[in-house]
Parts: sequence; structure tokens; C-alpha cells
Amino acid sequence: MNDTLSKEILTDEQIDQDLLKNINWGNKFKLWLAFLAVSLIICLYYYYQQIEHGLGVTGLNDYVSWGIYISNFVFFVATSLIGMLISSVLGLMNVSWVKPLARIAELVAVAFAMVAGLIIITDMGRPDRLLNVFMHGRVQSPIVWDIAVVVTYVAISILLLYIPLLPDIAICRDKLKNVPKWQHKMYKILALGWKGKAKQFKLMHNYTRILLVLIIPIALSIHTVTSWLFAMTLRSGWDSPIFGPYFVSGAFVAGCAAVIITMYFFRKNYKLEKYITIDHFDRMGRLLVLVALVYVYFNINEIIVPAYKTNTADAKHVQEMLSGHESIMFWMVQLGGLIIPFLLILFRPMRSPLPLMLISIVILTGAWFKRVLIVVPTQLAPYYPIQNVPEKWTHYMPTIPEIAITAGSFILVLIIMSVLAKLFPVIPIWEIKEDIHHNKN
Amino acid sequence: MNYYKYYKSIILICLCFLAVANANAQSDWEIPEKEQENVSFIMFDDDMILEGSIAYENSCTSCHGTPGQDDYMPMAPSPGDLASDQFQEQKDGTIFYKIKKGRGSMPKFEDVFADDETWNIVAYIRSFNKNYKQPIPDLGGIIIPEYKLKLDFDENVDKLVVKVFSKEIPQAEVDVSAFVKGMFGKFLLGKTQTNELGIAYLDIDPQLPGDAEGKLHIMVKASKGYGLAKLNQKMKMVQPTIHKSAIEGRHIWSTDEMAPIWLKTSFFITIFGVWTILFFIVIGFYNIKKAGREDLH
Repeated sequence: MNDTLSKEILTDEQIDQDLLKNINWGNKFKLWLAFLAVSLIICLYYYYQQIEHGLGVTGLNDYVSWGIYISNFVFFVATSLIGMLISSVLGLMNVSWVKPLARIAELVAVAFAMVAGLIIITDMGRPDRLLNVFMHGRVQSPIVWDIAVVVTYVAISILLLYIPLLPDIAICRDKLKNVPKWQHKMYKILALGWKGKAKQFKLMHNYTRILLVLIIPIALSIHTVTSWLFAMTLRSGWDSPIFGPYFVSGAFVAGCAAVIITMYFFRKNYKLEKYITIDHFDRMGRLLVLVALVYVYFNINEIIVPAYKTNTADAKHVQEMLSGHESIMFWMVQLGGLIIPFLLILFRPMRSPLPLMLISIVILTGAWFKRVLIVVPTQLAPYYPIQNVPEKWTHYMPTIPEIAITAGSFILVLIIMSVLAKLFPVIPIWEIKEDIHHNKN
Repeated sequence: MNYYKYYKSIILICLCFLAVANANAQSDWEIPEKEQENVSFIMFDDDMILEGSIAYENSCTSCHGTPGQDDYMPMAPSPGDLASDQFQEQKDGTIFYKIKKGRGSMPKFEDVFADDETWNIVAYIRSFNKNYKQPIPDLGGIIIPEYKLKLDFDENVDKLVVKVFSKEIPQAEVDVSAFVKGMFGKFLLGKTQTNELGIAYLDIDPQLPGDAEGKLHIMVKASKGYGLAKLNQKMKMVQPTIHKSAIEGRHIWSTDEMAPIWLKTSFFITIFGVWTILFFIVIGFYNIKKAGREDLH
């Protein structure tokens, strides 16, 4: 018995009606999309400036060559990892309450993973030389591994979003009559002639299962390799063998928070209260506590081991974090963005939709600044002291174009998620029906 | 307050003294006429220049810098660049005398270098002067004996055997020195004299690194009075050296071509494997389509 679904018995017609409701090009949505598009164009203008004048328009310099762009990249890769945790790990363990959330998690994964690749390009002074990475890349370089796994992860995530969507696309094709012609044609092509045959379901289940298994090592390696970009460099603060699991655990925190926020807005805007219930928020809140605890554990390790050994450079790094120049951001992120929120979520009232969503926003913001704390301070403390350079190279502050381009990446994610959520049902209709029929019997 | 005044006057006196000393130093360096006409009775050759360069780098570069580079120490009097015209105008004997005797901050090397070693340095300095013509020494009727050298290696006792002849007759009491030529200089194997059979033995350390065939580049010099002979020869004497790449085992940090096989194979097999599965699934879309059509007929 799946108690996360609403207790009242829903008929198939009711379900179709409820879950297809979001597929329309209402004026509210058009306004929202126009707002996003205008914002994106403003950000693109700043990117045009960056292309014209080079990376000089950013706050990056010889020492801090990875600023908020790369922090943002790490954050995006991290957030996209949630697709793996929810649809694959929990899905394969037959945790049935996540079923209605699997598609939302997969949407988050696809949107963030796709844009993560673009962020790397914004950090390049000469994006026209991107092809050189493929032509002249060294197979020993973590950057080449990173590109390989990011591309693979995007491909698997798209397939994992698409294949379980087939029966729902067929429903869209059959039930939605008043959609634009091109949209109907798109459903017809994408539905792959879906008739709901047993053999078709069998094939779909087989392919999905292959992908669900395949995505686990790929998702783990995508973020492990991203951590290796740092950990395989001999720098204080990065030179750590636990960086792989540390990053992965942090990724689940950011991802859970992102899914909770997305859930909240889809539920509110598309009136999905019967499908995404308060119970779902409660369980997602508990999951968030679990992954946050694991992350806190890694954070303690990450600080206490070098702090105990006080090897010269690492001691300086830890000192900077705990009580030095970075301490305000550090404690804001650790206490405000991680520990206090997860302590709050321990209380049941805090796991109801609105408080949990607000706490998730705080956690997600903390997670973003946490990535800045990983990327930037280490670069400001090289083993050789920074000498005989302009004064402004000794610190780092992102400029307006840099912030705008970074904001642009978030806007792009919102656009991708909004458009996909307007084209396809965000809750798997066929799975809900299956569940209800199963419960009836 | 009084002390302060004292300091002032002391500094003033010191400055005056330095100025006078400087003026003194800059006055011409008088070299006795006879010494100026001194010349090397050995004609300069590449070997002398090589030896001279080693001695120069050890004892002279710190002040005079590398000849031709104008990188000498800023001192008073100026050491000057040894490749400059002003310096090269001097006679061989003058340079020889100056190295030997020294003056002021230029130390005397009389006790450091033997005469032939000092001439090596002169030969090295002259190698920077293309117009230099070595004066022919006047030997006053003395006939210089011509020596011939023959080298052999006795592997039973690890000794280099040097035989010195003059007109087929073995020569006794000839000074023999032997070196191994290295990349940047010479390694002295030893100095000895020939016995009454005209043979000199020199120890070879079997641990010396040879080339790929176990050969050493041996340089032997034999001299007695005005007579001098040299011989360079590569001889198989030691174990061959197998050259290993300096980054052996650290190919992970090298170029793409040097990437370790295990890394290449595991990387490409993984990527290829995963994408094959994805490709298989995309092909599978056709099966889904076909399955939908089957019951129509």
C-alpha cells in the first residue's frame, strides 16, 4: 500500500485530467518565459562583452583562474547527481514513494547537467579553441576524463528521462486535442508508435533497468572526476584523498534541496497536491537529513585531519577557514547552510511543504557558496608566496559580467525545466495508474 | 653627540682613502718588459682551451663573468670583460704575469696553477679573439722530441696501460696523466710516470659509467721537458650503461603518447562500452515502434 498517494480513489480520467493540466501555453507561462528570455538576453550581452574583451572583464587573474565559473560548474554537476540517487538507487530498491518524484529529479538532472557543460565554456578565454581539448587532450588529464563523463552523463540522463516518458507521450498524443499542430506532431514522433502493448512495456522496462544500473557508476564518476580536478593537484586544501566521496555526499545535499524546491513549485503551480503530497515532503525532508548528516561527517573529516597534523600549508588553509579571512563565509555555509537547516528539518512541522522549501533554498544557497569556498581560497594560497604582482591579484572578487553570466546559467536551467514541464507531464501518469490499479486489487 | 661627530669624520676619512686607493688602482699596471715577452712554448689547442675553461669557471668567473657577456662584477678597478678589445690587446706574457702575480683585489694564482695550467687559461681567453695569432716560441735551438702513445686495457687488473715511444724507442720517466672525458669536463684517472720499459699503469674504476657499449672516452697526455703528446681514444673498459628515461614510471605526468597502456585501455574501453550500450538502447527505439505495430495485422 502506497500511503504517500492521496487516500481518495482517483479514476483514470481524473488522473489524466489532473496531470495533463499543466500542458498548455497559458498567458501566465508566456509572461514567465518572456521574463526569463529577457533576463537571459541581458546575461548574453555580458557574455558577448566577455568574448569581445576576453576574461579581463572578469575578476579572474593569474592566481585565481577558477573563480565563480568553476565553483558554479561544480555546483551544477553536484545538483544534477540527484537524478541518479532518486530514480536509480531508490528506484532499484523498489522504494515506491519516490515514483512520482522520479521524473522531477530527472528533469533537474538533465537541466543542470546540460548547462554544466556550457559553464566550462564560459570559463574559457578562447571558446573557439574548444575543439583543441578533444584533438590534443591528454588521456592522463582529469579534464579529459571530466569531459568524457559529463557528456556521457547528459546522454544517459536524457535517455532516462525520455524512455519512461514514452507511455505518457502516447497519452499526450491521444488525449490532447487542442495543442498546436507542431506539438501534436512532436508527440507523434516521440511516442515511437506507443500502443501500451505488453512487449513495448517489457522493452521499456528492460532499457530503463539497463540505464538505471549504468547511471550509478557514471554519476559517481562524474562527480568523483570533478573532485579529482582539484584533488589531483598538489595544492593545500585540495590535496585530499576523500575529495571524491566528499563531493558526492555534498552533491546529494544540493540535489535533494533542488528537487524539494522544484517539487514545491510544480505542486503549487500545477495543482498537484493529490500526487505530490505532504507525505512526500516529509520523506524528502528525512532523506535530506540523511544526506546532510553524511556530508557533515565528511566536512568534519576534511577539516579535522589537516587541522590535527598542522602541516604548514594545510594548517594555514584551515586557519583561514576557521578564523581567518574566509571564516565568515565558512561558518555561514557550515552553520547557516548545513547544520542549522538540517537540525530544523528534524522537527516534523519543518518538513511541511513551505518551511521545507524555504530551508531548501537556504541549503542550496549554502551549497553554492560552499563550492566557492572549495575553489577560490586554495588558489589564493599557493606554495610560493604571491609576490611582485599588482595588488588586486592577491584577492578575488567577481565582477558584474561574471555574476551576470553565472546568473545566466541559472536562468537557462529554469528555461529548460519550465519548457520541458510545459511539454510533458511532470508526474509519470502511467505509473500512478499502475499503482492505483495495483492497490485496488 | 661627540661620538656622532667622530663617526662622521671616520666615514669621511674612509671615503677619501677609498678614492685614493681607487685612483691608485686605476693607474697602469706595470709589467716587467721581460715578462711581457713570455710566450707559451706549446701551441694552443682545443684540449688546452677545454682545460682552461674549466679552470676559468672555477677560479675566475665569479669576478670576470663569462667572456663576451659583459657580466663581470662591478668593482673598482673594473675587472673588465676578457673578450673586449681593450683586454685582448695585451700580450700573452702580460696576461700570464697578471694571473700569476695578481694585484689589489685580483688574487695571485702563482700557487694555485702550475705554469702549463696558467697557459691553459690564457688559451681559453684567447679563444674569444678571432684575430689572435699565437706567437711562435723561440726555443733557442732545442729540438722538441716527438712522442707517440699506445693505449691498452688490462681487464684482469683493471688498469689502463700507456706506452710512450719516441722513434720506436720506449721512453722512461715521462709524465703521464689520463682523464675520462665527460659531458662537461674531464675526470682525472691519475698522474704517473713511465717505467724503464716506457710503460705507465693507471687504475680504472670498473664502476665508472660507460656508454652503451661500455666504452670510456680516454684522454691521455704525456710530457717530458718540451716534449708533449696527447691521444684521445674510446676504449671498452667498463660495464655498458643502459640509459633509462628520467621519467620512467611517471608517464602519467608526460605527453599523451607516453600515457600508460593500462590507463589508455581502461579509459577507452569504459567510454566505448558505455556508449555502445547507449547506442544499443537508441537502436532499441525501433523495436518499441515495431512492437506497437505487430498486432495490427
